[in-house]
Amino acid sequence: MAASAKPRRAAVIGGNRIPFARANSTYAKASNQDMLTASLEGLVARFGLAGEPVGEVTAGAVLKHSRDFNLTRESVLGSSLAPTTPAYDVQQACGTGLEATVLVANKIALGQVESGIAGGTDTASDAPIAVNEGLRETLLALNRAKTPGQRLKAVARLRPGQVVPEIPRNVEPRTGLSMGEHMAQTAAHWGVTREAQDELAVQSHRNLAAAYDRGFFDDLLTPYLGLTRDQNLRADSSVDKLAKLKPVFGRGDGATMTAANSTPLTDGASVVLLGSDEWAAERGLPVLAHLVDAQTAAVDYVTGHEGLLMAPAYALPHLLERQGMKLQDFDLVEIHEAFAATVLCTLAAWESESFCRDRLGLDAPIGALDRTRLNVNGSSLAAGHPFAATGGRIVASLAKSLEERGSGARGLISICAAGGQGVMAILEAA
Amino acid sequence: MELREVASTPALGPLFARAALTQRGRGGALPAHGLLLAAVQVDRAHLLDYQHLCRFAGGDVLPHTYPHVLGFPLQVALMAGRDFPLPLPGLVHLENRITVHRRLTADDRLDVTVHAADLRPHAKGQLVDLVTEVDVDGERVWEGRSTYLRRGRGDANAVAPQSSPPMPQGPPAGVLRLPEGLGRAYAAVSGDVNPIHLHALSAKAMGFPRAIAHGMWTAARTLATLGPEASEPSTSEVWFRKPVLLPSTVELVVDDSGSRTVVGLRSGREGVREHLVLTLDVEAGA
Repeated sequence: MAASAKPRRAAVIGGNRIPFARANSTYAKASNQDMLTASLEGLVARFGLAGEPVGEVTAGAVLKHSRDFNLTRESVLGSSLAPTTPAYDVQQACGTGLEATVLVANKIALGQVESGIAGGTDTASDAPIAVNEGLRETLLALNRAKTPGQRLKAVARLRPGQVVPEIPRNVEPRTGLSMGEHMAQTAAHWGVTREAQDELAVQSHRNLAAAYDRGFFDDLLTPYLGLTRDQNLRADSSVDKLAKLKPVFGRGDGATMTAANSTPLTDGASVVLLGSDEWAAERGLPVLAHLVDAQTAAVDYVTGHEGLLMAPAYALPHLLERQGMKLQDFDLVEIHEAFAATVLCTLAAWESESFCRDRLGLDAPIGALDRTRLNVNGSSLAAGHPFAATGGRIVASLAKSLEERGSGARGLISICAAGGQGVMAILEAA
Repeated sequence: MELREVASTPALGPLFARAALTQRGRGGALPAHGLLLAAVQVDRAHLLDYQHLCRFAGGDVLPHTYPHVLGFPLQVALMAGRDFPLPLPGLVHLENRITVHRRLTADDRLDVTVHAADLRPHAKGQLVDLVTEVDVDGERVWEGRSTYLRRGRGDANAVAPQSSPPMPQGPPAGVLRLPEGLGRAYAAVSGDVNPIHLHALSAKAMGFPRAIAHGMWTAARTLATLGPEASEPSTSEVWFRKPVLLPSTVELVVDDSGSRTVVGLRSGREGVREHLVLTLDVEAGA
């Protein structure tokens, strides 16, 4: 492709993931590399890529051991892909998988690669535990010491308390608040009710269970360590059952967020196969969808100006303007259910005249979304949310759903991420 | 051949002890029966421990060498029996050959049988093969042949076993660092609690300067470097030379110029200490 030519659209050819497991359960001893390799191997088998190189593999993990600095390349080397396949890691918190997809798609669009695999993996079970910061400094000082006196001085800084390790915590470094506590503040601001959150959670479980029952995941998933379905899925979930749970985030009577309408800590991995139309045709692989556009955004949550997980609300107007579309034009919309309240706050913001005017600078509100188009095959509340693996799960599922609806059907993906960020993308059925 | 079914995987500690206490006065022919462990369901936690220790990707696919670990307790049970002609203590694992007929996963129910075959003279003593066969629904899916040497009065006229291809030469493709506790870690996974592997002191009592790595760990770790291809239909052969003392650092040398891949493990200055030579033949179209 000549450098001046109009960029082509990258094709989403298919995807693969392993069932997601609740943390400290079935995948407790599986590493990120194990899970990413298993997802890759399933994809390689499904699309006949054994021994073949692809343009690049891009994936990441949010909770990562320091030994996994080259996690994706190491996983490629452990897979059946040709060892000549380049790879690199990305990390954008829960946006990792979708951002990786956008990166690979952009290289395909520019003609820099003909094919690629994007994905992500995360384990909350096999989490990295680091040595205590005081011990780390002491050990580094000991390592720098050249004379016996310096060594003695360094060793003298050892303290009993330094044996306590550093365990990763799900809190924002700048606010010290957990993601759930941040979300609870935003939910209270938008007046999102407990009932609405529980209903959304139940719908997520029902939609996911129905998708499994109709065989939707048969070509999107490889069983792993004995799991054939997402472990968190409760097909018999009901609003009555969920109403009995005690809130876990927020304070006092106004607390609405429970373990059921928040995503649990989860282990899992997912990958997506992308390519140019020509590459897919050469290999005889049908194209499900194309990646049309993408947008990231970030908000100032540190001062409390905006809610931590509201960035996708800000990304959407850019996409709509570029594509000349309305929210209501999308056949399907996937809003990652970090919490039920995340979805409901985002939808409420788009319906709000004052928010759309004052925050987004729009003349009119974006408006309401037909909820029958939302997360039609379930989302993170039911499937679970291994942080970096969620993007790949959604891209592959949405591409297949759009393809089922027919050529030209468009879908929107919205994923919020720690650090007040958000990633969005538009797919269109081939 | 008569197969005697065992209800569950035998514990190896008592078997080693019994074999040591009953080692005198053995001789005669090989036992006419084999042992069967039927419908083995792979324990996924055990599989994952094995995969991590040998550096295979953790998952549902059984590594090339994994069924050997399932069959090994039956090998020991057979060799510890009073009707086995050679005393178990001091048997040296000389060679091992494995054929994977199809890719196996943790979902397969495995019928594992072990029998002894080919008691034969060797220049330095006697050789015997312990044959492990794995079937799924009556179909042969995996087989292994472990050749053990009983040192003793040899037969200079004995037919020499097929020799290994030459050790690959040149700079190392990689370096493996084997920690002191490796023998204990592999014993915990494989059940092979032979004292020569467990600790420097127990190994010294058996005549070794330090603990030595399990041969089948070194074979598995070497195969793991060759990637997932080895779990597909393929045949490996390994010739064990000098044992690897623990802890130690060994070099991996690879020659993939021929139709089959040849890998060696060596150590010492100029790589003069040769530990094993392994070949892997992947079936065409596999």
